[in-house]
Amino acid sequence: MSGYGVRGVSKRFGPVHALDQVSLDFHPGEVLGLLGENGAGKSTLLRVLSGDHQPDSGTVIADAQPVGLTHPKAAHDLGIFVVYQEPELYPALTVAENLLAGQLPAVRHMVSMARTIRMAEELIREYGFEGTLDPSALVVNCSPAQRQCVEILKAAIGDVRLLCLDEPTSSLSEDESHRLWALMERLRLGGTSIVYVSHRMPEVMRLCGRIVVMRDGQVTGERLAAETSEDELVRLMVGRTLSRMFPVRDRTPKKVRLQVDSVTTDSVRDITFTVREGEILGLAGLVGAGRTEVAEAICGVVPIRAGQIRLDGQLMDATSPRAALRAGVALSPEDRKAQGLFLDRSIAENISLPILRRLRRWGPFLDLARERDIVADLMARMRVKAPNARARARTLSGGNQQKILLSRWVAVHPSVLVLDEPTRGIDVGAKAEIYALIDELARSGMAIVFISSETPELLGLADRILVMSHGSIVGELAASDATEEGIVRLALGA
Amino acid sequence: MTQDLKVNIKDPTPNPVWRVIREAAHSPNISLALALGILCLVMAGLRPETFLSQGNLLNIALAVVLMGLCALAQTLVILTGGIDISVGSTVGLTSVVCALVASTGTSVGSGIGAMAAAVGVGILCGMFNGALIAWGRVSPLIATLGTYTAYQGFTYIVTQGRSTAVLSDVLSSINSAAVGGIPVPIWILIVFALVFGAFMSFTDFGRNVYAVGGNPVAARLAGINVKLYLFGIYSLVGLMAGVAGVVLTAKQGAGIPESGAGDLSLLSITAVALGGAALTGGIGTISGTLLGVAVLGVLENGLLLLNVSALYQPVPRGFLLILAVLIQQWRGTLRLPKYLKFRRPHEPAAKEE
Repeated sequence: MSGYGVRGVSKRFGPVHALDQVSLDFHPGEVLGLLGENGAGKSTLLRVLSGDHQPDSGTVIADAQPVGLTHPKAAHDLGIFVVYQEPELYPALTVAENLLAGQLPAVRHMVSMARTIRMAEELIREYGFEGTLDPSALVVNCSPAQRQCVEILKAAIGDVRLLCLDEPTSSLSEDESHRLWALMERLRLGGTSIVYVSHRMPEVMRLCGRIVVMRDGQVTGERLAAETSEDELVRLMVGRTLSRMFPVRDRTPKKVRLQVDSVTTDSVRDITFTVREGEILGLAGLVGAGRTEVAEAICGVVPIRAGQIRLDGQLMDATSPRAALRAGVALSPEDRKAQGLFLDRSIAENISLPILRRLRRWGPFLDLARERDIVADLMARMRVKAPNARARARTLSGGNQQKILLSRWVAVHPSVLVLDEPTRGIDVGAKAEIYALIDELARSGMAIVFISSETPELLGLADRILVMSHGSIVGELAASDATEEGIVRLALGA
Repeated sequence: MTQDLKVNIKDPTPNPVWRVIREAAHSPNISLALALGILCLVMAGLRPETFLSQGNLLNIALAVVLMGLCALAQTLVILTGGIDISVGSTVGLTSVVCALVASTGTSVGSGIGAMAAAVGVGILCGMFNGALIAWGRVSPLIATLGTYTAYQGFTYIVTQGRSTAVLSDVLSSINSAAVGGIPVPIWILIVFALVFGAFMSFTDFGRNVYAVGGNPVAARLAGINVKLYLFGIYSLVGLMAGVAGVVLTAKQGAGIPESGAGDLSLLSITAVALGGAALTGGIGTISGTLLGVAVLGVLENGLLLLNVSALYQPVPRGFLLILAVLIQQWRGTLRLPKYLKFRRPHEPAAKEE
């Protein structure tokens, strides 16, 4: 029996257990569905299988032998191919060259273009993708769907034993999806194991023989597709642990602060909602559903194509982050290192940056004593753990970095604060502190838009929850009668 | 990570004086300051009569004025992650413009007009660079490489390739006059150094420049008009080139198209890099740049005093820059302070990820 699998694989990123003692078997000729919420560990598992990430402990099994996959080439040599949502191709080369990369027909290093294209044409026909792929087209000119097809074909051409597909149909049309499924069926009958990661429940139920559910880096359930239901799978995905990490919800939202009216940008459509003074509005949805894009539209980061935003009844200028900030709308971005912090500058400089104008004393010269007081006060209030305000942001832990970022916006005291994933990648203790801070800000009268991929967090903190899917708002729930299942179901479009 | 932090929270020496010394020992400029000190000691040892004489020290200072003026502005450009190669050509152009206006008469007015014209032309040159880079989104290297050549061309066009003698006394007096025993050009450099240093450390403009260079995305989200800052900084380089052009013309008593001002671009970049600035932006200081300028000045003067042929002088200058950058790289891994029994004051030993 030629088995592939993983045994006791663990992988940590800082304090986060991305994978925790995961053991799975991939049987030949079987499609295994892999389900889980954002951050459940599915992608990390695929990265371990592809040789991109090395596990901290545990091992990958190939042909019943433990193997160490130090780089993607090693995985390919063992017949393991992982196709990501963002295909990794050579954009400046043709489809044919990409398909045959590494085995181009060459005589003394001279490659015949005509032969390459002819060979690719045959392969495309053989694997049932004729009509969708032009072998002489440059990859850079291909649609995302076509690139996905190239990537999948590449895997199929290589001697694939274990094929992992990460959300393969998310960018494919109906027709392309069917061709993909036909190809999968062909490979499966040839004895290939297939791991199919998807958020689309009906697809998973139809295609997969066995379904594995992951949560917080662990396998929480394994079911035969024939013997389970969508309801049961959703329950396994979200779990039931909801601890008392959250502040008591007895805020009383007052008048409407922010009124977003049919706002459309390049990536979201017809977004309409309101946020009240002293209210926390949760924004739920899967990664890529358009939550960050909504935040960016409100805060002037991306241009608004249609619709309008009103702040306290007044039409708001959201043409740049600067304009939005002046109007009183601030964004605490998703990626705190890349978009938020100045890692090589001090804590004080990171906090005071947007309020420097207010700190001017003589002409442009700053009142450094006042800056010191403000920063010291905020660091104490936010319980920032750092030696002093001159420490560089880079030296702090994730939780403390997030607190610095929050302190910056607290110092500005905007009337609307948009928080995009404020607790990503930080430990539980710091999370609870940040929840308390957000609650305190809302109580002080701020209107807060709170984006999170962790549903329990939304349920625990928000007053109302908007659910987004594919660039639109698909539902609104009062937090008091929302359930994780309900939110996940809306987000999945099931 | 958190454990490391805890260790460092306890400040082993609460004495503030000791703390300042310790922090100075960890400042990125310390190795450069040491290098400057050693260089001076060696020179003082080899040429005890001449090197430390007041006249020679003033010579060193006078020799670095042009490079220093350009390097001050270049520091800001490099802090934003950019580079300005055209500054030398701009100095050449503003110098001949200054001389052309000053050749119209001996009156005080023509002298002042000449200075204004030089600075004005410099600002225009800088604004053009800035507009190309900020709004045209041309990479700074390419934009200023292009204008480097173009501005040099203008220099020959406006002069028809001929040198122009300065008639205005006001202008030549900049070079000859001295205040408190120190020639005016040196005062100009000192004043601008103080202004730049103060602005970068104590004003919101300075903080914003660091923000724009350190993380432009975050700077934009924090409400900074990043493009306007870029435009302003390149315009400022033009202004400084104008000032340098005036000093150059005063020094030569004439506007000379082939004055060799083009070298100033690379010299100023060398000084800034020597001063510890990262070409990727966000890291660097005015004091570091001034140290870099001083090191280059002393080195050049030293080679001169040691009768090293001018043909050989660029070699040590070039290798000095490479050596300085190498030392910066090593400092990251070698952790000199550890061997010196110093503990880094605020930073955990382990680098994050």
